[in-house]
Formats: sequence, structure tokens, C-alpha cells
Amino acid sequence: MKMLITCTVNGETHAVLADSRDTLLELLRERIGLTGTKEGCGNGNCGTCTVLVDGAPVNACLMLALEAPGHDIQTIEGLSGGGVLHPIQQALVEHGGTQCGFCTPGIVLSAKALLDDNPNPTPQDIRHAIAGNICRCTGYDKIVEAIAAAAIQARGP
Amino acid sequence: MAPQQSSLKVVGQRLPRVDARERVTGEAIYPADLKLPGMVHARMLRSPFAHARVRRIDTSRAEALAGVLAIVTAADFPELPVGATIPMGETGYDMWMVAQLNLARDKVLWVGQPVAAVAAVDVHIAEAALALIEVDYERLDPVLDIAAAMAADAPVLHEHVFTKGVDPRPRTPSNVCSRTVIARGDATRALAEAPATAQIRVTVDTAHQGYLEPQVAVAEVDANGFATVWASTQGQFTTELMIGRMLGLPLSKLKVVPLEVGGAFGGKIAIHGEAIAVRLAQKCRRPVKLVLTREEVLQGGSGPAAGALIDIAVGADKDGRLAAIQGTYRMDAGGLPGLSPSLLMQASAALYQCPNLDLQGFDVVTNKPRTEAYRGPGGIQAAFAMEQAMDALCQRLGMDPLEFRKRNASVTGSTMPIGTPFPAIGLTTILERVGAHSCWTDPLPTGRYPRGRGLALGYWRGTSMTSAGHITIAGDGRPMVTMGAVDISGTRTTMAQVVAEEFGLPIEDIHIHTGDSKSVGYSDGAAGSRVARTSTAALVEASRDALGQLRARAAEKLQCAADQLDYAQGRFHAPQPGGAAITLAELMQATLTDGAVVGRGVSTKLPLGVEIGAHICDVEVDTDTGLVTVLRYTAFQDVGLALNPAAVEGQIAGSVVQGLGWALMEGFDYGPDGRLRNASLLDYRMPTALDVPPIECVIIETPVPNVPYGVRGVGEVPIVPPAAAVANAIARATGVRILHMPMTPERVLCALKG
Repeated sequence: MKMLITCTVNGETHAVLADSRDTLLELLRERIGLTGTKEGCGNGNCGTCTVLVDGAPVNACLMLALEAPGHDIQTIEGLSGGGVLHPIQQALVEHGGTQCGFCTPGIVLSAKALLDDNPNPTPQDIRHAIAGNICRCTGYDKIVEAIAAAAIQARGP
Repeated sequence: MAPQQSSLKVVGQRLPRVDARERVTGEAIYPADLKLPGMVHARMLRSPFAHARVRRIDTSRAEALAGVLAIVTAADFPELPVGATIPMGETGYDMWMVAQLNLARDKVLWVGQPVAAVAAVDVHIAEAALALIEVDYERLDPVLDIAAAMAADAPVLHEHVFTKGVDPRPRTPSNVCSRTVIARGDATRALAEAPATAQIRVTVDTAHQGYLEPQVAVAEVDANGFATVWASTQGQFTTELMIGRMLGLPLSKLKVVPLEVGGAFGGKIAIHGEAIAVRLAQKCRRPVKLVLTREEVLQGGSGPAAGALIDIAVGADKDGRLAAIQGTYRMDAGGLPGLSPSLLMQASAALYQCPNLDLQGFDVVTNKPRTEAYRGPGGIQAAFAMEQAMDALCQRLGMDPLEFRKRNASVTGSTMPIGTPFPAIGLTTILERVGAHSCWTDPLPTGRYPRGRGLALGYWRGTSMTSAGHITIAGDGRPMVTMGAVDISGTRTTMAQVVAEEFGLPIEDIHIHTGDSKSVGYSDGAAGSRVARTSTAALVEASRDALGQLRARAAEKLQCAADQLDYAQGRFHAPQPGGAAITLAELMQATLTDGAVVGRGVSTKLPLGVEIGAHICDVEVDTDTGLVTVLRYTAFQDVGLALNPAAVEGQIAGSVVQGLGWALMEGFDYGPDGRLRNASLLDYRMPTALDVPPIECVIIETPVPNVPYGVRGVGEVPIVPPAAAVANAIARATGVRILHMPMTPERVLCALKG
């Protein structure tokens, strides 16, 4: 069944026709056209499709599109406004924290949720925060280093 | 030859990836991100049985469903004969196998093998249509493990498979596709006479490459019948050849565009649905997108990596000098004939000088998903057996395992298993570095549970094959590089570094991309640790070709002999101080109407850049639960020359963590009906950031002679030692050898309890 869904993504209001079976991930990718959020497994096990819903990391494949209205949804496209990279993104670039790149948008958003909540994380805090995001390329070290560096950068001198 | 290492300005620098920005912003385009006007969606119907004859497929009810646009089965493709191949490497690639892998014809060989595909206006309708396709199966007994498949009375999967490598040729078909022998001396006798011996038998479960991006194909066919396929592939040319052959489509009617690849590791060499997407697009005259689900990736036969049953026996004299290595390697290829075990057999024995060698390998088919290469294919399975056998021998001898390796290490010029001398290798240097490093000299800190330290070596031969590329010069004098290589390991970055070095320009001045199959010279796929090495050779040649053409133009403009001009940092100048000079930008502006400057390069049959590593790990074994925690991990590797140390570390650490995943947690679990019981990433668990320690990488550089910049392969060998290093550490901690991989808590606990 098709239904009209009005939702807020990256501060912008979208009114789109969606299938009642659509997940939030399908709503974002197929209906709104925000393809920065990737699908790795479709059942909440890999974290690739992580987005922020009211600031908290959520697997977009596990939330229905029709649950989206009323929430503030943030995707990777909302992070680098005006072409300026968020400090987490910049640090991942500089530290070699992205390889194939498929997990990267989800990692960036999990890291953002962490730093918004805990600006001074230990390496173990960082590993815990991204434990829901599988990365098959890096072995994680360079991601952990990058997030730690971004935290220092964000805290300032 | 390349400049001295010390004079290098861009090569060897720890630079960020040239394509990092689009990755961290989500702007990088993978095939699943494409949306073409009028595009429809495809889904595949897959076999519910592990072994059955397909008597009839009736698609009429599915075709009648509103929104269904096209359905294909094997009947929509020309039947390829047994023995059909396309060119690839030394042996070609079996197209009969590729055809079966993509769509079963007459017989299904594993649960999840595709039997039909549907295109519909949306994915929900395509999914619904699958349930309406009626397939009449005649069920056959499945064969689910190596021992059962090799039994004399086993049901035979393929009537046309007669064991290769056996003389005389067998009269009856067999599930053993090939037998490979590598031998010298008399290993049986040497073992019988050796004062110290160790024997080991290991079982390795099938595991998966685990790339995060499932296979995807988007196909469009224009009004003239020209087909374009956007693919996630390790090789656009191989994919094109496979699609063309499956469809009987001339190559002038087909183009494959490689987009970003969300991980591959060997699993995206063969096609999985690309030709089907084209046939559906031809039938329904709309662009078609086919995206596999994770369950299809795991169960359907895209990947996984071969399971194994391996016996090793080794013997040494009382001083710890190896006398003999005997090995029997049985590899579980899944439902279709697999890779020759030759490389993995060689790899497991290559690092030891040993007078008597007797290695036999068997490629065995079973009713499970057809397996694919996975990063140094077979290397980790074979090393899990060999390096444990060597460690057990050290324990018998009461000898330090590092000292034992030093005593028996292969060196430059010593005889490889296949009988030829080793090219320049740095194993001795690696072992010396291990001995001097704190990961080896620090005492093992005590913990709540027993702890142990393990050492294992790894070798991978890699391959070279062909890479091509060309460089055009933009109107502002900047090099625009088109490579034939697909980038699955940071190739754009390292190759931009090479071209920047050759031109004496900063890396920011280099534009680089991978060409589609119609815009660059034929290149083999990104596999076998070959791409950085061979692309370096091709692009050095292309750079020098382009600079030669520019030099001729500069000579004309500066009215001076070409061979008298000096070139540095984007500028030609006459030799005398204060002489005339022209920058590349000025030169291109002055000669814009002279036609393109196109430097071309190709590398084929480049000398091998064999990879060698030594890994040290400390583990703690929870004797109450069987859980093994890796506390510290150090990987030493000779990389020839690190084009970009950050990229090298990324390859090594990622490869090690994949190895640790298979070592401790990743394995396919089949039910008695051949159904995969853990076909999700919840039940097939890959390492998270909490499961692994930091991986310390120690880079050693022993350049390969006669190869530009002396580059070796990097990405494959680091997955070879981890399982053996962990197993050896467990044995040192507990006195018990774990002989079944993955070494899950359950298996470790059972072994500890005897």
C-alpha cells in the first residue's frame, strides 16, 4: 500500500510517497534519493546503514518508513554542510580510516553520536561505540585513531 | 630503473587517499546507488535443495502477476559446453562453471543456487513473483563434506568430472576434480628415519570473504542493442568477457563500467547475476537493477572460501634441521570445481629449506555453495596445518620456534617447492627483526587465565598478469591518468603517487580514475597481489612515454635538441644556466592544436613480488568458557618498497583481522540437508572493534630486482599466518592443540576437557 510520509531529514522537510513495507533505509535511499546511507545486511547486524534519529544511532534497515514522521533524522549527507568536512570526517581522511568506504558513513554517524555524548572518550569507549559497525577492510585501528584525534580537535586547545 | 629510495619525493609518503573525501561524505557511487530512468528491479529464485535434478520450470503464473516484466531461466542463455573458457592468467577461466554458478541448468548443486530470475516494477512484486514460479525437482542424495565426497560409493555431482592429474585417466567420474603433486627426494623414508617428528590433522570450516557490499548489477540496453553494465567487480574486462560469453553477445555490443567496490577480497572475480540483468533488460527493454541480499551472498554461492581437511607430517634431525615435509591437502570447493591447490601447497612449505617434500592436493566438490578465492586463497587453511605442525615439532625438539625458523629459513636462491630458485627475499631479515622486537622479548604478562605466545610464518606467491594504463595531458599541463586496474586497495592513491613522482609534480596535480572496459587497455582483475606492482610498471612506462612526447614538443618550441633538454618538476629547460625554459602548462597551451599527448603503458609478465610475513601473538584462554582473547598482535612483513606506508598498514591490519575472524569465530554451519544455518551476519559473526587488539605492523623493505620501485605484493599474505599464530599461542598457553577452525569457545572448551 502506498502512503504519503512527511519527515525531516538533515533539517529539510520531505513529503514522499512510500510503500507501507518500506524501511527507513528504503525511504532514504529509494524515495528521497539520499544514497550515502548504505545497505550491508538488511537485518540490523552490520551497522552499515546507521543514521541518527533524534541524535541516537539507529540501523535504518530496522525502522519502518512510517515511523519516521516526528523525528529528527540525520544522515551522512547532513554532516558536511557547505563542503566543509566534519572533524570526524576530516580525521578519517587524514588517518587512513576509510578503505572500501562502504561502512564509513555509518561509522562517522556512530562516532558523532559518541562525541556528542562523550567529548573525551578512551580508545575502549571508541571501540565500544563503533562495535555495532562492522568494517571488513581496516582492522579498526585507523578508525579508532581518527575518532580519538577528532575528539581532541573538537575539544580545542 | 627507479630513482634511489632516498631521493623519492611522493612515492613512499604517508599520504591520505585521493578518493577519501567522497568516501567520508557518502558521495562515492557504488552500483546500488544508481537510479536510471525507467529502471526496474530483479530478484532471483534459488534452489531449496542441495542436490536435485530440475525436471521442469513453469513461469506462467509468475508472468501473469501484474508488474512482472520479464523472467529468465537457463533456457534463455546459450548452453556452454564443458571446457568453455575465457582468457585469464595462465589457465583461463572456466565458463561452463560460471554459467552454472549464475543459473542452474538441469541440476542444482547447492541450496541457494539460482534457477530463475524475475524483473518487475518494484522489488516487492519481484519477490512475490518468485513464489509463483513452479520448479519440479527430483531430489538426489547430497554429499556434504570432504570425506563423504571422496568415499568410493559417494553420489557423484558431475558426470563429466574425471580426476585430473591421475595416470592412467580414471574410468569413472569422481567428486575429486584434480590431484596435484609437488615432490622431491623421499619424504616417507626421511620421516621414518627422523629422530623428531610431528603429525597433525586439521579441519577448516568454509568461511566467507565478508565484503560489506553485496553483489549488485545494473544493466541497460539501448535501442541498438548495446549493453552497459555498472558493476561492483574486481575486473571490468573479466566481467565483460564473462557476460559476453554467457549471452553470446559480441564485445563491441557490451561495456562494463566499474564503480566503487564495497569490499571484494576475491569474491568479486566471477560474475553473480550481471549477465542475468542484461538478459532481463533485453527482454523487458528497461534498465534492470539486481541487488543480492545478505542471505543470498552467504548462502547462494557468491564467495565463500574453501573448507579443508589437511594432514601434515614433519621431521627433523636432533639439531632441528628439517628432514621432510609430507602433506595431504583436501580442499572443499563446494558445488563446482575450484582453484588448483598448487599455490596453497607451495605456500605452506615455501619458507623452509627441506630436502624431502611430498605434497598432494585434492580439489573436491560437495553440495555446498561454489567457493571463490579469498585473499591468498587457501593460504590460511594450509598455514593453520603447517605452522602448527612446525610448532609441534619445535616442542618435540625442545627448541625455540624462532630459532627453528632461523635454522631452516629459505633464503635468496634456495630451492622453492616447485624446484626453481627463490628470487630476492628478506625472510632472514624478518626473523632477525622479530627476535629484536619487544613483542618477542617482553615477558608475557600473567593474567587470570593461562596465556601463551605464538609465532607463525606466511608466504604468498601472488601473480603478475596484465595491467595497462594511459596518461593524457590536460590543457594546463596536468597528467590525467586512466588505469585499467579496479581500485580495491587504494590503487588510485598509490598510482597517483607513482605518476607524481615520475612527472616531478605534487600529487594534487594528478587526476586519476579507473577506465571502463571500452576506454583503457585490457587489464586483468585486481587479485593475486598484482595490481599495485603491475600498474606501477605500466604507469611508469606511460609517464615516460608522455614525457617523451612532451619533450619533442618542447624541443621544437625552444628550438633545441630534444636530448639536450633537462626536465624537472613540470618544466623543460635548456641545459645552460638561464637558458630558455617552458612549463608543461605553457607547452600544452602553445601546442593545443597539435593533437593529444597520450602516454601508453602496459605491464605483462612482470617478475613476481613474493610476499613473506611473520606474525607474533599473545592470547589468554578462558578455561571456564573456552573464549580466546588476543591480547597483542604484531605483523612483520617485507613489502619491497612501501608506496604509501599508511596504505600498507591498512592492508596488513585489515588482512590480519580477517584472519583472526576466521581463526576464532567465522565458519559456515551446515545442516544435514545442506542448508546453511548461519546465513546472517548475526550468526556468521565477523570481528567487531571489540574483538581484536591493535595490530602493530612492522614494515621491512627488500626491493624486488627488475621491478620499478622494487614493489612487492602486500595485501594477501597477512591473512595467512593469523590462525596458526593464535593456535600456537593457545597450545603454548594450555598444552592443547586446537585442530578445528574456527577455534570457537565451544571447540576450545571441548579440546581442553579432552
